Amino acid sequence: MSTETNNNIKCSMALAALMHVDDPEIGLNVVDLGLIYKINFDEEEKKIVCTQTLTTEFCPMGDSIVSNVTQALQQTFPEYFIEVNLTFEPPWNFEAVSEEGRKFLGHY
Amino acid sequence: MFAITGDTASIKTTSYKVVLPFYIYAAVSFLVATILLLMSGNSFLGPLFQPSILAITHTMALGWATMIILGASHQLVPVLIEGKLHSEKLAWLSFVFAAIGIPLLVYAFYVFNMGAPAKWGGRFIALSVICYLINIFISMQKSKRENVHAVFIFAAVLWLLFTVLLGLALVYNFTFLNLLPYDSLHYLPVHAHTGIIGWFLLLVIGVGSRLIPMFLISKYTNPKLLWIIFWLINAALIFYFLIFYFFPERANIFIPSILILVAISLFIYYCRQAYKNRLRKQVDEQVKISLLSVVMILLPVILLLIIISLLLGKAGDEKELPLAYGFMIFFGWLTAIILGMTFKTLPFIVWNKVYRHRSSLGKTPNPKDLFSHPMFNVMSVFYLVGFVLFAAGIIISHLLLLKIGAALLILAAALYNLNVFKVITHKAIMK
Repeated sequence: MSTETNNNIKCSMALAALMHVDDPEIGLNVVDLGLIYKINFDEEEKKIVCTQTLTTEFCPMGDSIVSNVTQALQQTFPEYFIEVNLTFEPPWNFEAVSEEGRKFLGHY
Repeated sequence: MFAITGDTASIKTTSYKVVLPFYIYAAVSFLVATILLLMSGNSFLGPLFQPSILAITHTMALGWATMIILGASHQLVPVLIEGKLHSEKLAWLSFVFAAIGIPLLVYAFYVFNMGAPAKWGGRFIALSVICYLINIFISMQKSKRENVHAVFIFAAVLWLLFTVLLGLALVYNFTFLNLLPYDSLHYLPVHAHTGIIGWFLLLVIGVGSRLIPMFLISKYTNPKLLWIIFWLINAALIFYFLIFYFFPERANIFIPSILILVAISLFIYYCRQAYKNRLRKQVDEQVKISLLSVVMILLPVILLLIIISLLLGKAGDEKELPLAYGFMIFFGWLTAIILGMTFKTLPFIVWNKVYRHRSSLGKTPNPKDLFSHPMFNVMSVFYLVGFVLFAAGIIISHLLLLKIGAALLILAAALYNLNVFKVITHKAIMK
């Protein structure tokens, strides 16, 4: 299996794990909400860097969401060091919400 | 092993240990105020300023509304000023001083003893506000950004301090004659309106303009409009003082009243735009009640305009309408906001405490599942019917209506307390 294929499989596993982490206020998972910007696997350092945002800066549930993203990845990849990089550049917007997420929010 | 990097400062929250006592204190105060209301039904048929009415007003204004606003705002400071709360110890001190001062003051009013209990009560409350003011000021200084919501809050706290200090001066004026040129009752409208408009209205708009779009996930922002509202309210207060001291003809009160009416109408427009531009199409009950309470601000303002118009046509003083005006502010507008917002903010605080590190371990309840919705709905019905009956009882001076209204409000307050207790004592449930 090529490194790229291997990485794609791992990314899918990571996203599947993150589908179980909800934004508690909205009730929608962080993947469909578009909060996860990027997941990088560094096989040499055995490290995962997950770049994520929040719907708003200083969100009262921010600590909880970030903490749960970290735990979900740690459980799925116990042999890896997990780094969650929180960013507001670019800020989150509605365009980032998936089709499933839009249905959940009552847009269809 | 893990690390959280990047903009980590933006996810720091205030500890629930600091915030929950404010909520518990406020809930108990609401119940006490409604019991006092039932015990003092006759007072609403007599003269305007009576000891029991002053006691109820201060239980509602300080024990209920101010305590819950202080609690929620300590929790929401990071969201509102975009920076961390400076000191949880100061927040705790603020609670302790207020918790001691409020019952002393309420007791002093109830038995009308303006000696030591009233003075110490007032002093403790002033200390509480000073702690809060310092905490907010330093938090704002540390915040990298200046935003209109933070300015609303800071100005509101300054007005609160002014209100409290004036209140303390009025207490002293009762015992030290000639401290102020007139007797204390003469200054009560200034004391009351600085508190209602300077503290409550500014704060509710400052916080609401941030939270309502946030809960609706709205794309709408309009800081320019909020600045206009801010200056309209402050200008209204300054006009009010000038009119009170220099041009005390009743007709002049129309000027600040109209300014407030315009400010409130603009805020309603702001909320409407936020609602129209929301991404979340399904709006929960608590936000609906909060939106309703925004419109309810209009009730006392319209009533005030009617009172002024009626007073212009008569030489004597009406007592029913001013009583109804005060009742609509404290038991209507402010209580409706708090009833809605408690069950929007408190479940999050408790959820964060219970599930912060657990939610990835299994399906957790949502914050909105932490309180009983049927109990909330029954409470809302008791509250609305009780409010309408009591207000009608004041206007037509009907004791039975006052008693039934107060009894329903006690039931609403009891259900509110039970639901708050249910949320606070919530234990983790993993599905």
